[in-house]
Amino acid sequence: MLKRLKSWDGLGLRLFLLMWAALALSHLAAWSLVALSLHGPGSAEPVRRPPALHADSGRPMSPSPDGFGSARPPLRMPTFPSLPPELPWRAGLIDYGVRLALIALAAWWGSRWLAGPVRRLVSAAQQLTPALAHGRPAPVLAEDQGTREVRDAAAVFNRMAAELSGQFEERGLMIAAISHDLRTPLTRMRLRLETGEVEARVRERCIDDLREMNRLVESVIEVFRPAELAESQRVDLSALAQSAVDDLAETGANVSFVGPPAVVLADPVALRRVVDNLVGNALRYAGSARVSVTLSAGVTRLLVEDDGPGIPEAELERVRQPFRRIEGSRNRETGGTGLGLYIAQQLVRRQGAVLVLSNRLEGGLRAEVVF
Amino acid sequence: MSGHCLVVDDDAEIRTSLTAYLQGFGWQVSAAADGQAMRQLLGLARPDVIVLDLMLPGEDGLALLRWLGTQADAPPVLMLTARGDTMSRVVGLELGADDYLAKPFEPRELVARLQALRRRSHKGQAAQDDTRLLRFGRWRFDRLTRQLINADDVGIALSSAEFRLLAAFVQRPGRVLTRDQLIELTRAPGVEVNDRSIDLAVSRLRAKLGDTAREPSLIRTVRGEGYLFDAEVSPC
Repeated sequence: MLKRLKSWDGLGLRLFLLMWAALALSHLAAWSLVALSLHGPGSAEPVRRPPALHADSGRPMSPSPDGFGSARPPLRMPTFPSLPPELPWRAGLIDYGVRLALIALAAWWGSRWLAGPVRRLVSAAQQLTPALAHGRPAPVLAEDQGTREVRDAAAVFNRMAAELSGQFEERGLMIAAISHDLRTPLTRMRLRLETGEVEARVRERCIDDLREMNRLVESVIEVFRPAELAESQRVDLSALAQSAVDDLAETGANVSFVGPPAVVLADPVALRRVVDNLVGNALRYAGSARVSVTLSAGVTRLLVEDDGPGIPEAELERVRQPFRRIEGSRNRETGGTGLGLYIAQQLVRRQGAVLVLSNRLEGGLRAEVVF
Repeated sequence: MSGHCLVVDDDAEIRTSLTAYLQGFGWQVSAAADGQAMRQLLGLARPDVIVLDLMLPGEDGLALLRWLGTQADAPPVLMLTARGDTMSRVVGLELGADDYLAKPFEPRELVARLQALRRRSHKGQAAQDDTRLLRFGRWRFDRLTRQLINADDVGIALSSAEFRLLAAFVQRPGRVLTRDQLIELTRAPGVEVNDRSIDLAVSRLRAKLGDTAREPSLIRTVRGEGYLFDAEVSPC
C-alpha cells in the first residue's frame, strides 16, 4: 500500500499539489485579511451576505454606509474568493500584497525543496573523486527519501559509486600484487647474478635490464597508487629547485638554476619529484636543462627549459597522457618509460598548480609549473 | 672481520643466495622464513644485525619490528621494503627500523649498510641519531624530508651534499672538523667528495642558513684547521 503510494510520489505530482495549495491558500488568506480589515474581528460573515438588499423596503441598491458593493446590480455581486474591484485602495493593497507574499513564499520554499536533492547529488559527486583518490569510502545518498525521481537518481549514483570504488580497490590490490610479485623475482635475479657464475659482460647487461624493469615497475606504481595524504607546507621553491639542480650537477649533469626566493604551499617530497621528472626529461632529450623561478604579479612560476628538439605542437597534449611517447626523437632508445610527464602533471595538480608545456621560439621545450 | 647477520625473508631462494653472498664478505649468516623462526633463532644467539623483509606471511615485518622494539638489547634492523617511497620510509623509521632498502637492492649497498649498522651499534650511538627533527638557533632541521625549517615555518630544501654536511655537523656541535674528517663523514656511494666540494657545500649551506663567510654565526671557519658548527643542538 505504502509502496503504491510512493510510486505515485513523483516530482510532477508534488509540484502540482504545491502550486494548487499555494494559490488556494493565498486567495483564502487575502480574502480573510481584507474582510478582517473592513469589518473587524468576528464579522467576516457580513461580507459574504448580499449587502445591497434592504429588508424593510425591498428597494434594491440603497447605498450602504461603508460604500462596499454599493450602486451595483445584484448580478455583479462579489462572490468568494474574488473581491470586487471597487474595494478601497488600502484593502486592495492588502489583498494583492498578501497574495504576492504568500505565492512568493511558496515559490521560494518550493524551489529550495526542488533544488535540495540536486544539491545533495552535486556535493556527493564532488566528494566522490577525492574519496576514491584517498581510498576513503564513497559518499552514499539516501535512497528512501524524496520523490520517485530523486530516489531513482540516488540509487543509480550509489550503484555507480560502489562500482567505481570496487574497481579502485581492485586496482590497488593488483598494483600491490604486481609490486610485490615482480620485485621478489627481480631481487632473486639480482642476487643470482652476483652469486652465480656469470660472465662479467653478460652480468653488466643483465643488471642494466633489471634496472630498467625496476624503473618501469616503479613508474607504474607511482601512476596508479592512491594519492598519499602528504601535508602541504610552506616551502621555498627556489631552494628546492636549487637543491635538485645541485644534486644532478654533482653527478655531472649539465644543469643550471637562477631565481629569487619564492614561498609556495606544497608537499616538498612531491614537488621535488616534479622537478626531478621535468629536469630528467630535459636531460634525456636535450642533454642539458636550465631551471629558473620567476615571480610576477603574485604568480610564481617554475620553468624548465632545454635546447632539444621540442615536441610537435600536435603532440603537446598527448605527451601528458600515460604511456604516450612520441615516435622518432622520443622513443624507447632514450630510456624513458613514457610516464614522466604524466606523473609530473598529476603531482602538480595535487599541489593546486598547473603544468604548461610549450615549444620555445628559439627551439627546445619549456615546461612551466604555475602556482 | 664481519659479524653475525640474521636474514628474515619468506622467499627461499632469496634466503639461500643472500646467505651465500653475505658469507662471501665474511659474514656469519642465519636465515628465518617467518617471525616464529626468527624468535627461535634470536633465542639461540644474538646477531649483530637483522635484515627484515616487510612482506611476510602471518606476522608482517612491521609487527616483528614492533615486537623487537619491546625487547631489551635488540640488534639494529635493516628493513627490506617493497617500494622505496617516503611513506614506507616514514613508517619503517618511525617504528624503529635503523635503516631500510627497497627491493630489488644493489647487493653491494646492502653489505655497506650492514657494516655501517654494525659499527654504529658497537659504538652504541645515542638515540639522537634517530630523531627526525633537531633544533638549533632559529632553525629546525628535518632529517627525513631533508630540509631546514625557518622561524616562519618555511621549508628550505637541502641538496644531498648540504644534507650530508649538516647531518655531520649537528652530530658534532662545537667541535672543529677538518676537511679530511668532513670528507670521511660525508662520503656517499657514487659521488666524489674532495676539499673543493666540501668548501662549495659549506658556502651553499651558509647561504641557506643566512650565514655569510665574513660573519658566520653557525658554521665558523677555523683558519688552517677546518670548520666548526657553533650552535646548541637539541631534539624537538
